[in-house]
Amino acid sequence: MKPRRQNRIWLTIVPLYLFTIIFVAGPLIYMFVLSFLTRDEVWGVVNTFTLDNYAKILKPVYAQTFLESLKLAFATTLLTLAVGYPFGYFMARLSAKWKKLMMLLVVVPFWTSALMRMYGWIIIFQSNGLLDKLLMGLGITEDPLKLLYSYPAVLVGMVYSLLPFMILAVYSSVEKMDWSYIEAARDLGASRVQAFLTVTLKLTLPGILSGVILVFIPSMGLFFIADILGGGKIMLVGNLIRDQLMTTRDWPFAAALSVVLTVLTSLLIRLYRKITHTTELEGIL
Amino acid sequence: MKRILVLILALALSISAFTGCGKKTEELNLYTWAEYVPADVIADFEKDTGIRVNYTNFETNEEMLAKLSAADGGDYDLILASDYIIKIAADEGLLSELDTSKIPNWENIDPIYQGFFYDPEDKYTVPYAPGIPLIVYNPDKVSIEIDGYEDLWDPSLVDQVGLMDTERVVTGITLKTLGASFNTEDLDLIRQAGEKLLELAPNIRMLHQDQTQNALIQGEINVAFLFTSQVALALQANPNFKVVYPKEGLGFGVDALFVPKNAPNKDNAHTFLNYILDGEVGARIATQTYYLCPNKVSYEYLPEEFHNSLMITTEDIPEGEFIQNISSEAEAVHNEIYTAFKAALD
Repeated sequence: MKPRRQNRIWLTIVPLYLFTIIFVAGPLIYMFVLSFLTRDEVWGVVNTFTLDNYAKILKPVYAQTFLESLKLAFATTLLTLAVGYPFGYFMARLSAKWKKLMMLLVVVPFWTSALMRMYGWIIIFQSNGLLDKLLMGLGITEDPLKLLYSYPAVLVGMVYSLLPFMILAVYSSVEKMDWSYIEAARDLGASRVQAFLTVTLKLTLPGILSGVILVFIPSMGLFFIADILGGGKIMLVGNLIRDQLMTTRDWPFAAALSVVLTVLTSLLIRLYRKITHTTELEGIL
Repeated sequence: MKRILVLILALALSISAFTGCGKKTEELNLYTWAEYVPADVIADFEKDTGIRVNYTNFETNEEMLAKLSAADGGDYDLILASDYIIKIAADEGLLSELDTSKIPNWENIDPIYQGFFYDPEDKYTVPYAPGIPLIVYNPDKVSIEIDGYEDLWDPSLVDQVGLMDTERVVTGITLKTLGASFNTEDLDLIRQAGEKLLELAPNIRMLHQDQTQNALIQGEINVAFLFTSQVALALQANPNFKVVYPKEGLGFGVDALFVPKNAPNKDNAHTFLNYILDGEVGARIATQTYYLCPNKVSYEYLPEEFHNSLMITTEDIPEGEFIQNISSEAEAVHNEIYTAFKAALD
């Protein structure tokens, strides 16, 4: 009986490993190897080892794109947290019927292509567009504003597309929370704010953590929003990688940029985990 | 058990039915940008010839070439792409020579659109959409008279200019203002263009590949550098826009069709080429793609207003310079100055 059961376990594990090796490890290794090769004169790659691709990243022009991406990712994550946390918190406190409805409303936008939804924002932001007409109609502004192709427009687009991840992460941790802790804190004399800061916030930290990670990682890579709503005026690492592949045809440089981006993102997540983990321990102690 | 057996039998039947079908139906695998070949032209071709067209899209020329070289010049029967990438594909040996005896309409091609760098002896390609990018501006909102690329730098145009987000085009027109060629190999000159390009940054309101003309029509920008099709669309929306033939020199590009080396249905590809080279069909294509019409028989089918809105004559063609492939060192400098330019935009 026993060996047969083990066989079955292998049946389920092997496809999983194969899948991971082929679709996750494979491309990563390919990318890593490619980043040390040399581009061919016009098309393709030659098998000559070089570190030039990494040296090139240190040029200020290219290093700057990493800073720009980090800046946008941090701003996006903070704003998403500021909007998403209260949303998720109050959503978890609704009645079952309303919860279901809200959940549906949060998820529905995913049924439409993200690109399509960005074009929707263009209609809102463009000069004499919906927002302009509203502001002028209310007498707040007199002339059309230049809302589109600006940094705030990009931020709105980023926050808009990543908000559901934050909401759902916060929601699930608030939903799981045992409210008797808060009652206990209140009984022991804590004010509402104190109870929230010392109990609720600490208990929902795992939700915040996963929300932050779910928002931060994609915002390092989402570059089409900067292209569409920012009018191509913001140069992110994502744009640079795309340009290397699609116009400059320098695949090894694109690979090197991707390797650095991957490493950088992983490091930041590690750092973030370490920091939040220690505060969590402090909270318990 | 019986049920499963029935299901398997039914499946087997349907599969054999499909493969049977596949062998009888003639196919043509056409690979190009989405909606670049008008749907009605394809539908009529299918009706007339009984050949089924499988239209697959790519987003960029580079994506096409990556797939084509991975397939070793197979999988696709007919590819429609840009001049410079066809040159690379030709150098990689991925093109198949055309058999003009199977294309009776070959002589309809206007020879002014032939003999270019990517196919100097006209052995491999059929021109589909030639074009010249031009400056278009709204004279009601712009106080200066624009007659060349140099005017885009004018201080009165702060935050009003839209360009196509295409590295070699943007760096290229800057080189033109320095009196240089798009394709110069002089690295110092390219760097000098980079310095000059940084000075253009305050005037740039947006960069976009596909919808620059919409921003001009909407009033988001007042000056735009546009591809031929976009020029036509902008003028259609607002006939008051002024079109400028930049005095520093014109650019020129051709999107052309070729048959890959190991195309599975080469005969059908030839049938299709002959079909679209028909005078009337050529005119239908040109009126929908808004590019120049490379078919001289089509001219009589082209509507009058179309001639007016396009405003480019064949006399302009020899003036135009192609953007061609340059050495990887020069390409790298272009990328560096363009990245610096984009970082300098607000």
